[in-house]
Amino acid sequence: MRWLRFAVGLLLALTLHTLLDSFYPNALAFFDPYIILVIYYSMGGNILGAIIAGVIAGFVQDAYSGAIFGLHAFSLTVCAYAVAYVNSRLVLRGTVAFGASLGGSVIANELVIYILVNILQRQKIEMFEQGLLVKTVFTVLFGMLVYQLLTLFLREEPIEATKERTW
Amino acid sequence: MAVPADVIPRRPTLLFIVVLSLLFIVMSVSSKTRYVGETRTLFERTVMTLFSPVPKTVNWVGQTASDMYHGYLDMRREVAENLQLRRKVAALTTENLKLRQTESDLRRLRGLLGYAEQSTLETSMAQTVMLDTAGRFKSMILDRGSDDGIEVNDAIVNASGLIGRVVLTTRDMAKVQLITDTNCAVGTLIERTRRQGVVRGDGAQGLQMFDVPSLADVLPGDVVLTAGIDGIYPKGIPVGTITRADRGADLFKRITVRPAVDFGSVEEVIVIHTRKIPPQVLRYAP
Repeated sequence: MRWLRFAVGLLLALTLHTLLDSFYPNALAFFDPYIILVIYYSMGGNILGAIIAGVIAGFVQDAYSGAIFGLHAFSLTVCAYAVAYVNSRLVLRGTVAFGASLGGSVIANELVIYILVNILQRQKIEMFEQGLLVKTVFTVLFGMLVYQLLTLFLREEPIEATKERTW
Repeated sequence: MAVPADVIPRRPTLLFIVVLSLLFIVMSVSSKTRYVGETRTLFERTVMTLFSPVPKTVNWVGQTASDMYHGYLDMRREVAENLQLRRKVAALTTENLKLRQTESDLRRLRGLLGYAEQSTLETSMAQTVMLDTAGRFKSMILDRGSDDGIEVNDAIVNASGLIGRVVLTTRDMAKVQLITDTNCAVGTLIERTRRQGVVRGDGAQGLQMFDVPSLADVLPGDVVLTAGIDGIYPKGIPVGTITRADRGADLFKRITVRPAVDFGSVEEVIVIHTRKIPPQVLRYAP
């Protein structure tokens, strides 16, 4: 069931990605729907599931963006692992906790990408700091809104829906 | 809140490192293939193919929605344009009707003027304000009266022929007795043979001609004109056309005349200010 939810979430993220690409081509520089999905999923504290979610979501994002294939998969897996690891030891719940985790993950994600691009392509990302700030703000706000809507829709703590004791 | 230690997976970190290493290799291959011209690896193409229905569907929906929106806008524009054109057509139709009416009026008035110019007597124009051709007494009311020089016994005509005579005047109106009224008598003659007679209204829409001898040459289609012998109507005004001429029971024929004027469509008329016979002449008896 939770993988079905992840698949639906991934399709929605890809839909949003396509829509933004079609109507607002620069919007994805300031907003990342995939990381919202991955972090939401990783907050269940299941490290293995988080790694798989990060890899799959990252591959889809790479396939439909101009980045080196595997770049987002790598960065999202790092973020997913970190969030899942923390949540496997501490139980973080609520919209604010999700927003804080998401904000930290967006920053980490961008930093990983920045480093990898530097290593693999020896290029520097223009206006990295400004882009990072805007992307963090918009992604966190949108992510918290989605989380709040999920709380209303699921009528329980959304993260609980991603948890499963047995893999 | 701490989570019990037995729930935590044992070797996730090792898996994590392996996955990252594999991803780094994928990235390196992808990065290299870009430099040699191949922009997509097989794996990348597979992922794209696998998820391609999503962007295709989104694009199709977006394109359809965009087409519908623009179609709707076009339709709104067309509807507005259509409405504007309809209003224009209505305005032009009204204008056309007015022009046709004006043309008709002009033709009719030209006819009247031509007729008036032919007459040597003084004339004036008047407009019909009431017309009663269906009642027992056939009459009409004109919008001019004694202030405009209209007097009792003035002849009323239009371009088609004789209409009647003035029987009553006020300062601004005049009442006209139509020739179709049974109490109206007009001294007439048949244009072809110059045979004289008296035309009276039959009380309906027609006329009858009296005092024409049975032996007189009268044929259907003969035109009847005023004879100018009754002291009211000038000579030569068309009164009607004979439609039927039968031998009567006595010495005179029974002649039916169709009026020259269509009384149902009378609008403007000409008032002929006829020369009146002085009362003393009328009263004189040898």
